[in-house]
Amino acid sequence: MDIRRIARDGVLSAVALTIFIVELQLPELVPLPGVKLGLANIVTVAAMFMFGPSDAALILTVRIILGSVFGGNMMALIYSAAGGALSFALLLCLKKLLTPRQIWVGSVLTAAAHNLGQLLAAWAVTRTAAVFTYLPVMTVAGMAAGALTGLCAQLVVDRLRKK
Amino acid sequence: MLRTRTWIIIIALIFISCGAVCLWQALRPAPGPTAEITVDGETVETIDLSAETATRTFTVETPWGTNTLEVGPNCLRVLDADCPDRVCVDTGWLTAGSPIVCLPHRLVIRLTGPGGGPDASVG
Repeated sequence: MDIRRIARDGVLSAVALTIFIVELQLPELVPLPGVKLGLANIVTVAAMFMFGPSDAALILTVRIILGSVFGGNMMALIYSAAGGALSFALLLCLKKLLTPRQIWVGSVLTAAAHNLGQLLAAWAVTRTAAVFTYLPVMTVAGMAAGALTGLCAQLVVDRLRKK
Repeated sequence: MLRTRTWIIIIALIFISCGAVCLWQALRPAPGPTAEITVDGETVETIDLSAETATRTFTVETPWGTNTLEVGPNCLRVLDADCPDRVCVDTGWLTAGSPIVCLPHRLVIRLTGPGGGPDASVG
């Protein structure tokens, strides 16, 4: 791994972590656990389309682990990791199907996958299938948030490519 | 490469179907409070208290003794018992926080459903 890449991924991880921590301080938009904007995923999606899967995976992993540490909730690590892994796998599959103008599509669909991963983790932890009653409402909220973060990521990729 | 319109249709399908399920969940009438009567750990009867219209009394026979219960709309209490301490009678009306327990008869009555029982929560 060359120094340029280490520096770039380090900076992007720091940006993602900062966005994540700032978002934690915002008041909740919807009084439901697990419903949030997920603005830090802008960085993951942008990195995936600009630098490729290995860099995006590195940034995502660093952000999830350090985000749980700084967020002060290590239980959240399980849910974040499960959601992150599932959504990352889906984005990897979708990457070849999407044009640069369709990045937001990938974000919407992976947001839904993220919620599914979180609920699968919650199901594994609590051993109650009742957690899946949250799936529809979380998917609706997640897809709306995913559209927003996806559009942001698309704008970021668009502007950085022009330079 | 799919066209953007195709992607929008796929997204809309998922979004609308999940939205429909949400709506159905929200509009479905919530089940009322339910009393669960257990003897020696086994459920002998569950009563939907919201379905009760008038006050009625009935007895629960256990191998150790008999309890007389009074049931009305959204309420339940032990009216009489042939146990020595009658703690179950003194407990009064059934509430979500405290189940009615008759230890000599190994009888437990607790409120389940909304307002009772441990709430499921996900973080």
